[in-house]
Amino acid sequence: MILLNYIAAFFLIGLGMYAIVTKYNLVKTVIGLSIADYGVNLLLISIGFNPGGTAPIFTWSELDYNSFFVDPVPQALTLTSIVIGACVTAMSLALVIKLEEQYGTIDTRQIRRLRG
Amino acid sequence: MNMLGNILNYQHFPIYAIMVLFLGSFLIAAFGENRAVRNVLALLSITAALGFAVALVKPVLLEGEIISYWMGAREPAGGYAIGIALEVDALSLFFALLVATAVFVSGVYSIQYMNRDHNEKEYYTLYLLLCGGVMGMVLSGDLFNMFIMVEILTFAAVALTAFRNTVRGAVEAAFKYLVVGCMGSTCILVGTAILYAQTHTLNLAQLAQLVPGEVNTATKLAFALLFVGFGTKAFIVPFHPLAADAHGAAPASISVIISGVLTKSGIYGIIRITYFLFQSMGLGTVQFLLVFIGSLSMFVCVTMALAQHDFKRLLAFHSISQIGYVLTAVGLCTALGVSAGLYHAINHTLFKGLLFLAAGAVLHETGTTDLNKLGGLAKKMPHTTVLFLIGAFSISGVPPFNGFASKWMIYQASYQKAVESGNIGFLLVTIIALVTSVLTLASFVKVSHSVFFGQLPPELENVREVSWGMRFAMGIFALLCIITGLFPNLVTAYLTEPAAAAVFSVKPYIEAMGFDGSAAAALEGGSFQCVGAWDPVSWLLVLCIALLAITIVAVAGKYDNVSRCRLSTVEDKYQLFYGGEKQELSQLGGDDLFWGFKHNWRAYFNYMHRLHSGIVNDYALWAVVDLALVTLFSLIVL
Repeated sequence: MILLNYIAAFFLIGLGMYAIVTKYNLVKTVIGLSIADYGVNLLLISIGFNPGGTAPIFTWSELDYNSFFVDPVPQALTLTSIVIGACVTAMSLALVIKLEEQYGTIDTRQIRRLRG
Repeated sequence: MNMLGNILNYQHFPIYAIMVLFLGSFLIAAFGENRAVRNVLALLSITAALGFAVALVKPVLLEGEIISYWMGAREPAGGYAIGIALEVDALSLFFALLVATAVFVSGVYSIQYMNRDHNEKEYYTLYLLLCGGVMGMVLSGDLFNMFIMVEILTFAAVALTAFRNTVRGAVEAAFKYLVVGCMGSTCILVGTAILYAQTHTLNLAQLAQLVPGEVNTATKLAFALLFVGFGTKAFIVPFHPLAADAHGAAPASISVIISGVLTKSGIYGIIRITYFLFQSMGLGTVQFLLVFIGSLSMFVCVTMALAQHDFKRLLAFHSISQIGYVLTAVGLCTALGVSAGLYHAINHTLFKGLLFLAAGAVLHETGTTDLNKLGGLAKKMPHTTVLFLIGAFSISGVPPFNGFASKWMIYQASYQKAVESGNIGFLLVTIIALVTSVLTLASFVKVSHSVFFGQLPPELENVREVSWGMRFAMGIFALLCIITGLFPNLVTAYLTEPAAAAVFSVKPYIEAMGFDGSAAAALEGGSFQCVGAWDPVSWLLVLCIALLAITIVAVAGKYDNVSRCRLSTVEDKYQLFYGGEKQELSQLGGDDLFWGFKHNWRAYFNYMHRLHSGIVNDYALWAVVDLALVTLFSLIVL
């Protein structure tokens, strides 16, 4: 059921945003970013899905007009998006470690030297 | 010989301009241990990028050619663009030129500015990565590639914000920027995915062909997502606190790039989606959206700047305020408006770059950017002072500097729009723009008073002028500020008008890539003529005559500089830096120059201060609320 995928994707994105907005723990903020990212990945992969299609890997001789496969472009996009998501997590966790060293806390309510 | 000719064909120059920056970054990462090697590599790649961008001026800006370049020669098959494309029209090249210039000057400045930092190798690697990301974004002809480049530049910008991680708040600023920036990037990716689901293409030209015919709930949502996503990159309201945090902590050479170049990439993205992809600028409501957010950014950020007491943070708020001008002017959707907006975009890069470099020079020599700890630097750093004043005059719109010409065009554009459309709201925009300009001048009076004039604190006795390399870089920006201010006719004729014409010619943009552009909306920009007393050369004459007259009177009247400046105890309360009740005179810090104004508006300032709480959750909430409002707006009106 592809509709369920779309609902789940937007639910995950919403859940991620909810975590970022409401959670005061920096690690939970990072988890929120990751969850939103998973939602986007699910959305991307669902867009390219054709029910009953095979993997889009063919040699020239195999490929004809009856070949029925899923759209390969969103899969490429998803791979890129996964890599970027990993970068986001790595970098934000590195920053969290630095913040903990400097501020002695990972509570966002106490990390606000820059304001006003 | 034939092969060499093929390599040097200008059709390849866009990809070269992107490649040299990334190549420089990777080579420095690999071989940059040696200082000389690193500097030569960095200078070579930024010079080459500038060279390739300038070499494209003749065919693209002057002759109006649109370069379409398919990577690996994968041309569209069966009417669908499968390969990745670069498409360079006058608008793209206009922004690429801005990028290349700012990157070049800031790179030259970095070489001596960063010499006291460790990890210079990492700095240049990230710096060139950031520059390559912006360059790739403005030259790309593919929506997903734009997203990739946006991610690259966001990461590089975040890493560089935290580069001096011992500076107060640097890591904190980087984290906030990362969180909200990634929310923006996610928005762009979801928008891209939705558009792909609707049209099965990622090519910008083909999207511009197909999307306007498929306006449904999904594409409206995509519009809102893309708009908010690029909005986070341009730092327009409500994302301005991130800019302030990031600029304050980043090295000055990076502030130049974040303020002068990165925000422009956001503006570029917004122009592409509103004018090209959705072709919705004909709608009064979309014009309202851009003009409203632009005016809000203008006013909110300039008042926030008035309340700051950190040099770079103050400049950051001004930067977003000026971006508000650009967005407002672009949103007017007239030839004059777009031309004025792009003109102001050039000027913004130049004067903001100059001001940030001057702030960096002050930081480099004194070790602080706190306005209350600085003062009287004009005696110690005369060249930096003059260069800073040129930048300050430019941003405040004092004739004959460049801010004057573009702001004048923006006033005229919004006023004409009000007259033509009969909508009184645009008149309000003119008024906001004027008031913002006045407040900008006021806050630069404050900055120059508390940094360069006034009393020199004893601990700054040993400050010296910065090295020639940094002054040279600032000099380039100052010279460009004066040139673009004195010859607005040349700037509009050769730079902004071709770019503004490209904004209004969607059909050639689609057809250059081999798609059918016959259904493209025909937006008419019309022609324009600047009116009123705006000729900068005559203003320059007025300025010279006035200066001459003052000098003659001062010399002939034996103006006694020394006794004038001596304070008398009786008159202390009339001095600029004194305030309070008559009985209890108290000395004011340099940043409290407008204490009366702030006192009268204390309700507003206190409210704004509480709003900018510095908690990352609040800024994330603003992003979500902004997304919700823009989505609602576009669902109703698009």
